[in-house]
Order: sequence, then structure tokens, then C-alpha cells
Amino acid sequence: MSSMNASDAPHYVAARVQRAIAEDARTNELGIKVDVRGNQIFLQGQVFEEEQRAHLTEVATEAAPGLTVHNEVTCVQVGEPGEEELL
Amino acid sequence: MTIRVAAVADIHLSEASRGTYRKRLDGIEHRADVLLVGGDLTRHGTVAEAQVVADEFRDLPIPAVFVLGNHDYHSNAEEEMAELLRAAGLIVLDDSAAAVLDGRLGIAGGKGFGGGFAGKCASEFGEPETKAFVRHTREIADRWRVALKGLETEHRVVLSHYAPIKETLEGEPPEIYPFLGSYLLAEAADAEGADLIIHGHAHRGTEKGVTPGGIRVRNVALPVLGRAYAIYSLAEAGW
Repeated sequence: MSSMNASDAPHYVAARVQRAIAEDARTNELGIKVDVRGNQIFLQGQVFEEEQRAHLTEVATEAAPGLTVHNEVTCVQVGEPGEEELL
Repeated sequence: MTIRVAAVADIHLSEASRGTYRKRLDGIEHRADVLLVGGDLTRHGTVAEAQVVADEFRDLPIPAVFVLGNHDYHSNAEEEMAELLRAAGLIVLDDSAAAVLDGRLGIAGGKGFGGGFAGKCASEFGEPETKAFVRHTREIADRWRVALKGLETEHRVVLSHYAPIKETLEGEPPEIYPFLGSYLLAEAADAEGADLIIHGHAHRGTEKGVTPGGIRVRNVALPVLGRAYAIYSLAEAGW
């Protein structure tokens, strides 16, 4: 008997966090990559507003209590339209 | 005369975006003749967010054509959203077509849907849920054929949210390709003819690709572009 519950395997924790991020109304982000390494969670991807970044940490922390969340998500930088492409 | 098409998708406006997006469109009339927006206009698909989109795009000096994306369906308010946008003078395609620029440019399309790409896709077989998923895409593609057939414009562009080919998905995990698009969308355009297919949805994808029939495909999801919009010039000869 392992002391660790099978549903706490990193694989399932990552899936749970990813699902929470997609389905929680605070985030509804589908493209965030979630990696669990030991007791740490790494979030990667892009969002559109700084506020969304903070919500990601919040939702991930709630979905995996006790683990440390490292939020490496960046905000999309939008530049000038740029030159046209002739098709 | 060439037609300059400005295009962007996945702008994901929220109520916090009110008053902030419009400045990205300043001077667009000097750079482009028409603006196409390929879905995921909002974050949660609410009516309040739709109102922000309508207000940010209202009274543009060039025609603006929209389709909705999966996020825009999340609150079951997609029809109200389309009506709000239309009331703001914007064109919204729902598996339909519209002609702009005095009939020189026709745009056909809609949200699109998933299913995957030839050889690695779902079929209308087995459980009703699987059949319904695949049927949804097939029916959309069938309506796009009808919409394209009805366009008698010099140029034709297909506007979608979901991807028609996998080339513009490169960068996304291959395991999720079936949720990002379907080859049935490309097949419809290849069968009827078009100059260009615009789509979004794949934030980690790649801008440029081409259908098996040789139609240029551009993924204009905002995170892919990293710029306010892309501009594609359609040369004189049509499809």
C-alpha cells in the first residue's frame, strides 16, 4: 500500500488543474500547459490581460492545494499591423 | 485593383476591454479595404462582452465581417451576440455569405468545427454522440459549399474560426488537432474555389499554410500574429 493516493499521481493532478483552468469562469483558458514536478506546478502559455494571469494562479492553487504554483504565463504583446503580404 | 484584406481572430474581449481595443484599429482604412474577424470575439460568450465587441468595432470606416468562435457559444447567447453585432452595422456570417466592396469581394463561412484531418479523424459511426459531433462539421461544410456557390464576386475568401488544415496548427500538441479543426472545411473550399481561407482558434499554431487544392490558409489568432491584424493583398486575378 502506498501512502500516496493513486488519484494524486502527477499525471492526474496536472489534468485536474488543466480542466479547472478551462472550466472555471474566472479563467476559461483552454491553451494553458500544466506540468507537475514533485510538489511544484508550472503553468505556461499566453493570456490577453494581466488580470487573467493572476486568476490562473488562484484557480490552480485551489485545484491542487498544498502544491506550489509557478505561473510562467505571459501576456500577448500586440504590435503594429506590419507590412502586407501579396497573395 | 488589388483588395487588401485585414484579418485577426481570437481577440477575446472582456468587459475590462471596453474602450481599449478600438485604438488598435486607428488608421485601418489607410491600410486595408475590409476587416475580417475570425471568431472568439469574447472570453465567456456573454451578452455584456458582446456589447463591448459591438461598441469597439462600431462605425469603422471599412466593412467588417465576423464569425463567432467556441468561446462565443459558451453562455448560449450566440444568437443575441450576432444580433448585437449586426445592430452595430457589422456583418456576421453563420454558414452564410456576404458580398462587400461593390460586389468585388465575397466572404463565406462561419464558426466551423472539429473532427480532425484526413486519415486521422472521427467518422459518423458508433454512438450517437460521436455521430452528432462529426455530423455537425459535415453539415457546416455542406452549407459552406452552398454559400460559396452563391457568390459571384471577383474574389472569394472563406472566414472560419476552426482550422481547415493541420499545417497552420503546427506548434499545438498533435493530440488535440481533432478539436482544432477539420479537413471537411478545406475540402468544401477546394471544391468550390476561393482565394484565401482565414481562421483562428489555434493560439499556438502557425500563420501560413495551404490546402491540398492550393488555397492559401492563414491562421490569424492574435497570439500567433503578435500584431493588431495581418494584411493580405489579393491580386487582380481571382480564384
